[in-house]
Amino acid sequence: MMEALTVRGPEKNMAASEETSAAIPRSGSASRLLATYRSEIALAVAILLIMGVVSFWSPQVFSYGNIANVAQSAAPLVIMALGVLLVIITSGIDLSVGSTFSLSGMVAGLAMSAGAAWPLACVAGLAVGIAVGAINGLLVTLLGLAPFVVTLITYAVGASLAFVITDGHSIALLDPTFYLLNGGQLIPGVTNYVMFCLLGTIAIELGLRKLVMGRWVYAVGSNDKASRLLGIPVNGIRAGVYVIAGLLAAFSSMLSLSYISNSEATSGANMMLQAIAACVIGGASLFGGTGSAVGAALGAIMITVIQNGVNLIGINSFWQGSVTGLVILVAVLIDRLAKVRA
Amino acid sequence: MSRSASTTFVLEATDIEKTFGATNVLQKARLRVARGEIHALLGGNGAGKSTLIRIVSGSLHRDAGAIQVSGQSNYDAGAIAVVFQELALLPDLTVAENICLPHRRDAFGRVDARHMRAQAARALAVIDPALIALLALPASRLDLHQRQLVEIARALSSGAQLILLDEPTANLTFADSERLFTALRRLTQQGISILLVSHRMSEIRTVADVCTILRDGKSVVDRRPLAEISDEEIVRAMMGEGREKATAPAGAAAPATSGGVTLGLAKDRLALTLAPGSVLGLAGAPEGPAGVIAALIGSASHPAWSITVNGEPRRFRSPADAIRSGVGYVSGDRAEKGVLATLPIVDNLAAAGRVARKRWLVSSGEVQDALGALKRLAIKANSLYALPQTLSGGTQQKLLIARWLDLAPKILVLEEPTRGVDIGTKREIYNIIGVVAAAGSIVVWWSTEFSELAQTCDHVIAFDLHGAISGLLKQDEITEVAMTRATGMAA
Ligand SMILES: Nc1ncnc2c1ncn2[C@@H]1O[C@H](COP(=O)(O)OP(=O)(O)OP(=O)(O)O)[C@@H](O)[C@H]1O
Ligand SMILES: [Mg+2]
Repeated sequence: MMEALTVRGPEKNMAASEETSAAIPRSGSASRLLATYRSEIALAVAILLIMGVVSFWSPQVFSYGNIANVAQSAAPLVIMALGVLLVIITSGIDLSVGSTFSLSGMVAGLAMSAGAAWPLACVAGLAVGIAVGAINGLLVTLLGLAPFVVTLITYAVGASLAFVITDGHSIALLDPTFYLLNGGQLIPGVTNYVMFCLLGTIAIELGLRKLVMGRWVYAVGSNDKASRLLGIPVNGIRAGVYVIAGLLAAFSSMLSLSYISNSEATSGANMMLQAIAACVIGGASLFGGTGSAVGAALGAIMITVIQNGVNLIGINSFWQGSVTGLVILVAVLIDRLAKVRA
Repeated sequence: MSRSASTTFVLEATDIEKTFGATNVLQKARLRVARGEIHALLGGNGAGKSTLIRIVSGSLHRDAGAIQVSGQSNYDAGAIAVVFQELALLPDLTVAENICLPHRRDAFGRVDARHMRAQAARALAVIDPALIALLALPASRLDLHQRQLVEIARALSSGAQLILLDEPTANLTFADSERLFTALRRLTQQGISILLVSHRMSEIRTVADVCTILRDGKSVVDRRPLAEISDEEIVRAMMGEGREKATAPAGAAAPATSGGVTLGLAKDRLALTLAPGSVLGLAGAPEGPAGVIAALIGSASHPAWSITVNGEPRRFRSPADAIRSGVGYVSGDRAEKGVLATLPIVDNLAAAGRVARKRWLVSSGEVQDALGALKRLAIKANSLYALPQTLSGGTQQKLLIARWLDLAPKILVLEEPTRGVDIGTKREIYNIIGVVAAAGSIVVWWSTEFSELAQTCDHVIAFDLHGAISGLLKQDEITEVAMTRATGMAA
């Protein structure tokens, strides 16, 4: 039957594909950048809108002082969200970043009270983050446990250890130059917290787009089985993202300690939820395979802007969580609508 | 044929329009299905068949046009049962629970499990009583072919007057297809109408009464009895004037050449050495071919087959090891084993090359390679940065093949690679197989369409229904009859 059919040659369709290939913008062209970052641009506009609304009650929202203040308190959240984002793209979740934040802070604080210079203390704090991330990664890949369960366990253990090592007391940080980590200027004219945010966001964004490993992060979250058959080191990628998430959570803690100069065992509890929320607002799907670093960073900034707005307007700060929840709902609904129409 | 009174039509869709972005996917498409007939909806990849089915079943909005079901434009979507091209069982529910969706609950909100199992068992028995053994398994444990059968069983038992089946046989063995067709004929005697999409001409001839053919979203043939239309005419209608006469430029889809390679395969008492340029067919139920394929692509931790490459014993420890040693792999189970659904087309195309070439950076050359690959396989895509789900089913399949073209695989392993691709593209795939073999590489492929194997293979390993080796056929012994006998697949 097949033999009888004389179908040869893709001529006709080739012509068609030539037409369409002309319509494909060359990579890097401005129009494609615009198309790729459409939702991020919308997010940035939304942040400005929120600030605009707040300015009706409190015009100083646009003042230099307030913006610097918002940026400073957003910085640790941005850094943490970038790590959580990587995990979410692989269709995992990391709850443990909250207690890693606290635990690494306590360890660094203890090191400083024992007389260590702050850079050394920070290295100790970061090591805690890497260790927790490595444990998460191993349990998820080797034992095949669900990321939610694994990181719930490490969250609980980490949170309790943060109390154990200090007996529940908070630690005042003694090294007088520690503020430099956050407030210094490694690059003249740019305060460090801004630099870390920008650098972190750009590094993760470029890494996700331009490194083969970055593409693998998406591939793993998109289709685990197909990724394995394509020779992608699925377990390595999965383990790696937890280590990076742990490291960034610890660094986020160092940054925040550096300007609060007081380490408390409970400080990370709220951060983890906000970091996950930032990723979701920024367009990441908890099913994995999508999300961008720019989006997550903007999501973190939006959450901080909302908190700031609630404060400025003078609403009881207990409402902050509710407002943030509402914003996540709106963000997800808009995302859904955009997908239905596409 | 009663073509007169429109009231005899169970489904009458007229002037259906649909655009996605800038592409006109359906343009005044027309589809009329009469009571009690089996109606074939034909067309090349991307013609708009699945889109039309999604619109008729109410899962997609149309831009314009009218649809009437049994003369009613306000029809209940429950009057139509559908099996979509991309399967959609709920992975964590059992087969029985999936078949009986939506679950009827009693006043206390309980589901009557016994009743549900009985109902599901009846549904499966309509196709094959052997399937009842699957009832309690979660859907995630089924293979593609079983998932397909379960979805069909669910549609057939739904009591709907109109059943839409989008390429139901693409994932079935010959014997299962035959059983399905018997069941379909029984249903038509009860006045139920069936709309069937298929790229297999022979089965369309055996089962369908009437056909409608879409090309580029237009109904170029509107309700013609199959008895009155020749194969030539059908192909011409599907592909358009001119295309069927054109000959492929020599090596249009030729991948880069690789050196010659000799492949040895051994298991139990069978030991086979394939000279460079051989095409080995695997015939039979999935278990058997799956063992060979897993050993070749490095996905088995304890491979059942031992392999030699150029005379040296070789064990592929991982898919990456296999890919870097020159093994390419295309599966017809594209949703599960091939497509990276949330990544743009360009990443899907570049994925294998990145592993094979041990690249660290996404190179700009990938875009050029991707454009070249799309062109060689005549893949219609709006943009390299679109998601694969914006491509038709058969086009996604082509994407998976395109992935390997630039890598010159020494051993090309194909697992039902022609699932869901149109006749023209099938030709193109046979062409690629020929070209790859001519370059000295070895092609190993499993197909449930024995006619394909008979056309292209010089060796065939046949497996019986339990996956045991039941025969080795060479050259002239490779016929459809011999393969059917050796695999025990006689319907
Ligand atoms: N969501 C979408 N966005 C953009 N284009 C789409 C979308 N869905 C389908 N298309 C396009 O519509 C056209 C028709 O697709 P459709 O799936 O209906 O084809 P088909 O006839 O079923 O093909 P096949 O035989 O390969 O299954 C294709 O060109 C496809 O690229
Ligand atoms: Mg289709």
